Amino acid sequence: MAVANQSGVISKNKPVRTTRLQQEARIGLLFLAPWLIGFILLKALPILAAFVFSLTNFEMLTPETTKFIGLENYIRFFGDSQAGGSLFGSLGYFLLTVPLEMIVALALAAIFTSERLKNKRFSQTLIFMTSIIPATSIFFIFRGSLQYAQRLIFEPMKLPPIEGFGLLLPFMALWSIGPGFLIMYSAMESVPNEIYEAARVDGAGPFARFVNITLPMISPAIFFTLVVNLTGAFGGAVLLDRGYILNFSLSPMESYINSTMFTQGDLGYASALAWVTFTVMMTITIILFRSARRWVYFPEEDDNGEI
Amino acid sequence: MVRSKRRQELSRLSFKLWDFTGTALLNFFMFLFILLYLSPLPFMIIASLTPSDQFLDRNAPILPSDRETFHYEGRDLIVYNVPMEDGEKHLALYKASRQSSEFIDPENPEAGLITWQGNWRALKAIYHFKPTLENYNEFLGLTRLPLLFKNTIIVAIISEIGVLFSSIAVAYGFSRFRIPGVQYIFFLLIATIMIPSNITLVPTYFLYSGHVLNWIGTWLPLIVPHFFGSAILIFLLRQNFKSIPRDLDEAAMLDGAGPLRILISVILPQSIPVVTTVALLHFFYIWNETRNASLYLSISPNLQTVSFGIQRTQSFFFTPEALMVGATVVMVIPVIVLFLSQRFFMQDMVVTQIEK
Repeated sequence: MAVANQSGVISKNKPVRTTRLQQEARIGLLFLAPWLIGFILLKALPILAAFVFSLTNFEMLTPETTKFIGLENYIRFFGDSQAGGSLFGSLGYFLLTVPLEMIVALALAAIFTSERLKNKRFSQTLIFMTSIIPATSIFFIFRGSLQYAQRLIFEPMKLPPIEGFGLLLPFMALWSIGPGFLIMYSAMESVPNEIYEAARVDGAGPFARFVNITLPMISPAIFFTLVVNLTGAFGGAVLLDRGYILNFSLSPMESYINSTMFTQGDLGYASALAWVTFTVMMTITIILFRSARRWVYFPEEDDNGEI
Repeated sequence: MVRSKRRQELSRLSFKLWDFTGTALLNFFMFLFILLYLSPLPFMIIASLTPSDQFLDRNAPILPSDRETFHYEGRDLIVYNVPMEDGEKHLALYKASRQSSEFIDPENPEAGLITWQGNWRALKAIYHFKPTLENYNEFLGLTRLPLLFKNTIIVAIISEIGVLFSSIAVAYGFSRFRIPGVQYIFFLLIATIMIPSNITLVPTYFLYSGHVLNWIGTWLPLIVPHFFGSAILIFLLRQNFKSIPRDLDEAAMLDGAGPLRILISVILPQSIPVVTTVALLHFFYIWNETRNASLYLSISPNLQTVSFGIQRTQSFFFTPEALMVGATVVMVIPVIVLFLSQRFFMQDMVVTQIEK
């Protein structure tokens, strides 16, 4: 009896478990389907074409002379000091603006969750507003208000004039915190109140609550902002379009790729540059994802640390 | 007994005082921050109200002003502050030349021309404070704003529906199901975010052109791709869905709820702030999107979107005041939308949704 029962359980249990897993995978794939179909129909071929271009000397004005040149474009990159400079420029842009942007966004979001703050709707609108202004206008606003400051404050007080556009980058970064601020604020608002209440009962002060509850709970959102800012610095997808037309960009590497592509029409080399940039970005992203296992917190850790 | 009561009262009072001071300080700090943060913004408003020739005069005042002129012999002469032997005089410039110029006295035109030695460019014109709406009128005359607004709102709403449905579904698929090899699919999703966007522009254009899909000159290239979800928004939603504990899912599952039911009545009510953020970000993205609009809508003027339309006008008049007018105009609707959407961020709203 016991044996039969045991074998019955085993023979029944195993197929049931696998089909349940299979069913779960099937339903999951059904939910992933929109993106997968879109990728196959609209994204995959252009990406593949961009890769093929990088192996040719495709010039936009003379497409008929295109021929396969192998890895020549990639070899050309290693001799191109301007390309290397732009790549490091993008890295510098990322390292310079992102910490500033993220710390200010995080601090603002933390202040906004306080019940003591009045007129939140109004302040939040004002803070986000600047992230919608088109980039060309931002440049003029910056230049114009610098002249105003010069005439109204610096000249009457006999202070030395403000030099150049060194301030433009941090200014631009600060005036783009809207999305990061919104993401972190919404993540903070999703943290259940009960956790805070429990910590308060245990005697944790506001600072301890922020470090031990808020930061771990919103670490997925912080991680997201970090990755998205990285792609923005190198010219990948962005959360907010700043109304750039074709060849203007704030990212040094993207500007260089764009000028190679649109001004010189050298699509083959531009594609190779883009793939080099992509490799650099992907390497940094993989390192970030690896590091995320240590500091990004998810309530369920059954994914073997995969984030 | 009395002393301890008094002490209690005192401590309560000091707590209240402390509480009040904290609130006041916090709000004051926020006020100061916003003031500083927006301090370059007045330039935008002032410049948009300034007559265009004021930007050409280095000695012009900062605020929008009107130059004092004197009508003489059928011409409007500009009045300058001219230093003469008997003090400064307001004279109208009649004939300008580098070494010496001829002026006329507006108060005494019969006296004839007055010759003044020196460079007239060093003189200061007389200005009166007078903001003008002329830039706006001119800009609105060149840009069919109601049409552009209507087009953009239609494109934004249709693509918003698509992007929300698909991105939420895909993010749910990524965050809640054990699928073999799902990490590779996610890796692919992240990779599509990283590919420099301009590099697929030419092949994508080919795909949408008459050779394959024939979508050029329609809204389809701006709308259809969003119906397959936006990789960046999927990533954002997935981060949030994964940080929701599964206890409620499992409870609902035991009650016999299917995956779709769990998404709608367990996951989404806990994600209202992030879904609002995603909806807003996509709306602003569409509102400001210029690259695709300029590629695919150049040939159909009646379908153009606001950001492209405004940049087109600005490309003919690349002046500070035209740029500032454009920037002000393009911001109006996003700011209203942002202001109205705020209530979805409040936590009490989220809690009541769960309780229902």
